[in-house]
Amino acid sequence: MLGGLNTRVMLEYLPEIWQGFLSTLWLSAAGFLGAMALGVLACALAIQPLRWLRAPAVAYVDVIRATPLLAQLYFLYFGLPRLGIVLPEMLIGIIALSLNSGAYMAEIIRSGILSIPRGQVEAGMSTGLGYMQRMRLIVLPQALRATVSPVIGQTIVLVKDSSLLSLISVVELTRAGQRIAIDRFMPVEGLVATALGYLVLYYALKSAAGAWSARNALPGRG
Amino acid sequence: MGKEARMIEFSGVNKWFGPLHVLNDISLTVGKGEVVVVCGPSGSGKSTLIRCVNGLEPFQQGRLVVDGTDLSNRRALRALRMEVGFVFQSFNLYPHKTALENVTLAPIHVRGLNRTEAEARGRALLEKVGLGDKMGNYPHQLSGGQQQRVAIARSLCMQPKVMLFDEPTSALDPEMINEVLDVMVGLAREGMTMMVVTHEMGFARKVADRVIFMDRGAIVETAPPETFFTAPLHARTRDFLGKILHH
Repeated sequence: MLGGLNTRVMLEYLPEIWQGFLSTLWLSAAGFLGAMALGVLACALAIQPLRWLRAPAVAYVDVIRATPLLAQLYFLYFGLPRLGIVLPEMLIGIIALSLNSGAYMAEIIRSGILSIPRGQVEAGMSTGLGYMQRMRLIVLPQALRATVSPVIGQTIVLVKDSSLLSLISVVELTRAGQRIAIDRFMPVEGLVATALGYLVLYYALKSAAGAWSARNALPGRG
Repeated sequence: MGKEARMIEFSGVNKWFGPLHVLNDISLTVGKGEVVVVCGPSGSGKSTLIRCVNGLEPFQQGRLVVDGTDLSNRRALRALRMEVGFVFQSFNLYPHKTALENVTLAPIHVRGLNRTEAEARGRALLEKVGLGDKMGNYPHQLSGGQQQRVAIARSLCMQPKVMLFDEPTSALDPEMINEVLDVMVGLAREGMTMMVVTHEMGFARKVADRVIFMDRGAIVETAPPETFFTAPLHARTRDFLGKILHH
């Protein structure tokens, strides 16, 4: 099947694929920043002691995790205009990606914080460190180390999830690949070109993760 | 004992974990410069007792005053903890900080010392506990005995008035116990007020002013070490000593 791949057509569409690739790259970057901001906020609310602040954060994470991204995307795409909010498709897409990944990021950060043994906090308390100092100097630096790998994992998911934005007519990598299928009736060529783009992004993230852990590992320990 | 000479004073302290009565009407005074060893079977409440002294454990009834601060005043807790050092069974060193950074963290961020002062103080203390050559090492690069000595230096670097030790040698291999006990003996001889939960009876004999035996949440017996070991009053104390001394 791949032996008969029409590489000439693939090259012909290279400018479209490249545009789609760049678009996926920046949609993902924007989605990532939004997701981290929401994740940190939702996590901070979820672990603090006031119940009425905790409840909305927990509800947010539950609703997002319980429903498919596609449903969330359509909900925003069709729902926002009914509230009189008209936004460009691309912005709706970024909001959906941020909201969706933000919930998973919140859980990842929360489990990183909860993985720090109670004794670490008690050692801080016993020398008179306050709550924010214990968080900043003891808990977060350790939790962050535990969090980087799963955060990059979730970012890889986010990059692939951004392909769903093609369904609300955002032009990105998947949509660009579909052009080859639609214009030339060559769906396999389109899909292969698309897949290569995602592979590049995947390997970039994977090597970033590797470089980070190599640089931040404690000496003498993996 | 005059009021100024009292460092730790429990009066009628009670604590329950659900239905479990973990501290049963504790009244106990520890004077300035006194060294008190607390022993007893596991689950007798000795760790809970010592953890109350710096507010790591709340209690439901009674009064506890440490260095003039009433522990029911949760707002005064942070200031009090600056004056009360605590050494844990499991060391609890910060794994992402070097030995020297572990020791200087609180002096810099809590006492407000500048880095140079804090490091000078930290270096002197690490030298004192025999770790002058390990300042730049991370906790996982140190043995258990070395980690516990760093933990002691970390507490001392705040220049506390009281030191609390919660089974400081229980997690150590036997050959490392003495290097930690030696540091503690030195501290006791310098006049530090200490409360030590331990089964190291050699340590108790050497430096304790009083030994306290706890069982089922209550203080059963309090006596100077020579009386405690040679003529314990209570059957439960004798039974316990028989179990830990006969080998």
